[in-house]
Amino acid sequence: MLLRGLSWLVLCQLLGAALNVLLIPILPGPIIGMLLLFVFLLLRGEVGEPLHLASTSLLKYLPLLLVPPAVGVMAYAEDIFADFWAIAGALLLSLLISIVFAGWLMQKLIDRQQRREDA
Amino acid sequence: MSLDWHAAWQALIHHPLFGVGITLGAYQLAIAAYEKTRWVFLQPVLLSMLAVIGILLACGLTFAEYKDSAAALTLFLGPTTVALAVPLFLNLRRIRQLFWPTLITLLVAGVVATVLGITLAWVFGAEQIMLMSMAPKSVTSPIAMLVANQIGGIAALAAVFVMITGIIGAIIGPALLKRCGVHHPAALGMALGLTAHAVGTARALQEGEECGAFSALAMSLMGVFTAVLLPLAILLWL
Repeated sequence: MLLRGLSWLVLCQLLGAALNVLLIPILPGPIIGMLLLFVFLLLRGEVGEPLHLASTSLLKYLPLLLVPPAVGVMAYAEDIFADFWAIAGALLLSLLISIVFAGWLMQKLIDRQQRREDA
Repeated sequence: MSLDWHAAWQALIHHPLFGVGITLGAYQLAIAAYEKTRWVFLQPVLLSMLAVIGILLACGLTFAEYKDSAAALTLFLGPTTVALAVPLFLNLRRIRQLFWPTLITLLVAGVVATVLGITLAWVFGAEQIMLMSMAPKSVTSPIAMLVANQIGGIAALAAVFVMITGIIGAIIGPALLKRCGVHHPAALGMALGLTAHAVGTARALQEGEECGAFSALAMSLMGVFTAVLLPLAILLWL
């Protein structure tokens, strides 16, 4: 079961990688693969048990898989220290403002839509 | 007889699975520490990252060597990204109900997040190459690296900014948002996925399935929009 689901995921990723080279170099293979799987699920109308099992198992370990790219910070320590305050300030401030803004905007729009539906 | 400790040590730290081993170990310790304390600053990704960097420095290993020996883990990032289509699909009905709020938030807040980052870094006096590496900071690292390359930044630096943004967003995002009166799981998820990409999505999945679905949606659409629109915008502007 798990293997069959995994095969689907790997197949989509491989197709995505091929399409990335053939047609859309601007989008990375995994993202194209995700869009492919999404379209496939739309056409099929349901998520099969093997696919559901494989995707929940993998997604459970998403934080673990992100550790190696995160460790990449150490390779650029010098460049970051050179512009440290500008970078740290810009990253932190823009993140704080945009995360609150995004959440606030979405919440307001949802509230408005719900009020409209109630009316 | 004399045991060759030095050779054994070298064989251990240069083994092609050493990176996988220390990452798995660090991650499990980080998870245990997080579960025990529930302290937000002990985000598993951050804690494992620090532990792995510490071990690498102590062993005198470079990131390039670690990257090779952790490749077995990194390889699965692709299929896992593909797997995000599943929660996206399962919550499609809810997303359809909130179609306009989702689309408007995505476009408006996405532009704000990107423009604000560049503008602030420029005001604070960062160099051009830093600005261009920072522009795609809110999208998942494979896209960010491609986009940074196209607009004249450094791909690896972009990945670093992406990670820092993601980790900080995941650490302070949920508490900050709730304090600001954002309670709807869809709004929480949108904010996390839009600004803190995959790390934010991993955090959003802990909040619940709906939150995770919107986060995955926001992350992937933000990625697609950034990949297509940011190089165009820079091209027209410069």
